[in-house]
Amino acid sequence: MKRMIRHYLAAVLAAAALLSAGLAAGATPGVSECMDCHGDKTIEKTLPDGKTVPLYVDLQAYRSSLHGTGSCVTCHADAKAPHEKLAKVDCGRCHGDAAKSYAMSSHGKVRAKGVADVPACYDCHGKHDIRKSKDPASRTFSLNIVATCLRCHKDQAIEQKYNLPDQKAMIAYEQSVHGMASKKAGLTGSAVCSDCHGNHTILPGDDPKSATFRQNIPTLCGKCHSGILEKYEKSVHGKGMRAGIAESPVCTDCHGEHTISRASDPSSSVSSRNIPKTCSGCHDKEGISSRYALPKKRFSSYMDSFHGVAVEYGMTKAANCSSCHGVHEILPSSDPASMVNKANLPKTCGKCHPNAGPNFSKGDVHVEISPKKAMGVFAVRIFYTLFIGSLAILFALHVGLELYGRWNRRKEKAPGGKEGQS
Amino acid sequence: MSRADLAAGKVIRMSFLFRVQHLLLTVLLTVLAVTGFALMYHENSLAQWIIRLEGGVHNRGIVHRIAAVLLMANLVYHVFFMLLSREGKSEMRQLFIGRQDIDDFLQSLRYNLKMVNEYPRFGKYGYKEKFQYWGASAGIVLISVTGIMLWAEEFSMAFFPKIVLDLAIVIHGYQGLLAFAVLFLWHIYNVHLHPSVFPMNPSWITGKVSAEWLREEHPLEYEKLKEEGLL
Repeated sequence: MKRMIRHYLAAVLAAAALLSAGLAAGATPGVSECMDCHGDKTIEKTLPDGKTVPLYVDLQAYRSSLHGTGSCVTCHADAKAPHEKLAKVDCGRCHGDAAKSYAMSSHGKVRAKGVADVPACYDCHGKHDIRKSKDPASRTFSLNIVATCLRCHKDQAIEQKYNLPDQKAMIAYEQSVHGMASKKAGLTGSAVCSDCHGNHTILPGDDPKSATFRQNIPTLCGKCHSGILEKYEKSVHGKGMRAGIAESPVCTDCHGEHTISRASDPSSSVSSRNIPKTCSGCHDKEGISSRYALPKKRFSSYMDSFHGVAVEYGMTKAANCSSCHGVHEILPSSDPASMVNKANLPKTCGKCHPNAGPNFSKGDVHVEISPKKAMGVFAVRIFYTLFIGSLAILFALHVGLELYGRWNRRKEKAPGGKEGQS
Repeated sequence: MSRADLAAGKVIRMSFLFRVQHLLLTVLLTVLAVTGFALMYHENSLAQWIIRLEGGVHNRGIVHRIAAVLLMANLVYHVFFMLLSREGKSEMRQLFIGRQDIDDFLQSLRYNLKMVNEYPRFGKYGYKEKFQYWGASAGIVLISVTGIMLWAEEFSMAFFPKIVLDLAIVIHGYQGLLAFAVLFLWHIYNVHLHPSVFPMNPSWITGKVSAEWLREEHPLEYEKLKEEGLL
């Protein structure tokens, strides 16, 4: 028995000696060999400019990462023990598609020019601790994406250096309905940066290939809001947009981009109080109403109506533009399916005013006070203006005459005057 | 008229009930004007300040309608008072407009232009008072009718096309403006700024005027009171 143990030990020692001789000769190292050095928390290298880079690798984090079952040399193919500076890791060797789309993105293009501020794979995904994006501990997990992007995009120095949208957009997103749903409610379905901007293929919004290019917006939002997209596509705005009319509004024109909030939020661009301003942003423009033969003065005639005044002073239940015209399904009044088609007006008005029948809905809803459009109201206004005006003038004349007369007679009545003498 | 009044040369011109009606009218019309014009001129910054002061458009409407109901009640009471009570009936007779008033008006113009030497001799109410009274009454009736139509908008919608309500809102507003113009330019002049009463004809508070003033401005009334032995 003793002898057997002795033999065994001798064999192990011989094997160890052989192995170390082999390593020294340049054989591929295993994870444990690498960790002999890189498991030491204190090792670091000093760069020419005096900065130090830690060379420690957390084995625990690596083992629980997506790549944890592999070995160091899968990525660091040129690693030997010991070694000098290694070649850059090329993720594209395995992740070819991601590398290709990254190369076409704004990040990739600038990175290729050698700008180190721009994120490479590891800036978003991590290095030794890469996890699946479905893993809640991952940097690219839906609820962690915003923080990952904002590491650079909330950095003022970077914003200024590369002329990026400023912090306002980022802060606005955090307070938007999407940001709150993600941050506060922890809803993984809510839109985070990458849902709209893409992940590897991020491009600026003015690039036609960008997911956030204007013409691509409805499709983009429709990824999640598909029911609304369906309605929008049938609306006059949707049809116009698809026909290539650039002035036709897309989702963001009414809802905003990073600022999107619920219609029930008073600060929202689509809240009851703000919707007239939002719609009139286009509909009060001379060019737009004449180019598309739209009726004019829709905003001023609305704001002068009781609905307009009530909404302006915060009576949210008073009708705003969308109460009568619809929201995503807006159609011109000439369309029989339109809420403001003459035949449908009793039903539309009836939503709030049950007694408003076909008789009530005769005539214009937006009263544009001119002889052509609303003769009655125009005439009554003119009549009263002239009447009040002439009455005021007559009063003034009468008062003036009376004072003049009294003053005249008083002079006469006074001693020395005509009447005083008689 | 008490003995003391007579001794002081005072004559009653507005009885207690009239003063109450007048005071109500003053207060209510002011409230209605402030709340109403704020809405009519809602784009004006002062109007916006007033609306905010009143607690928004909704509360503004409530205040306006409370004042309107009280004003209409005042009007109904006044109509009954003028048609049924002894005092009212006698006032009513003196308020009818006749040929005489037109003559008086023309004569006053001629007098002031020195074409005649006689100033018209008025009874208790001259053409100025009558014009004010009937103008205001007609105005209040018109503004009440349009106001009720707009208040009961659900009811109105069942009967009228929208154009009728559009007209009602314009008439209501401009009628208010007209009433305001008459009150400020005519009534305030006649009872405050007119040289014979400046700074104020006190009768709306005390009910009394001096016999001397009455003799000057309303000689027929003065003579009538004298005949009846009330002076």
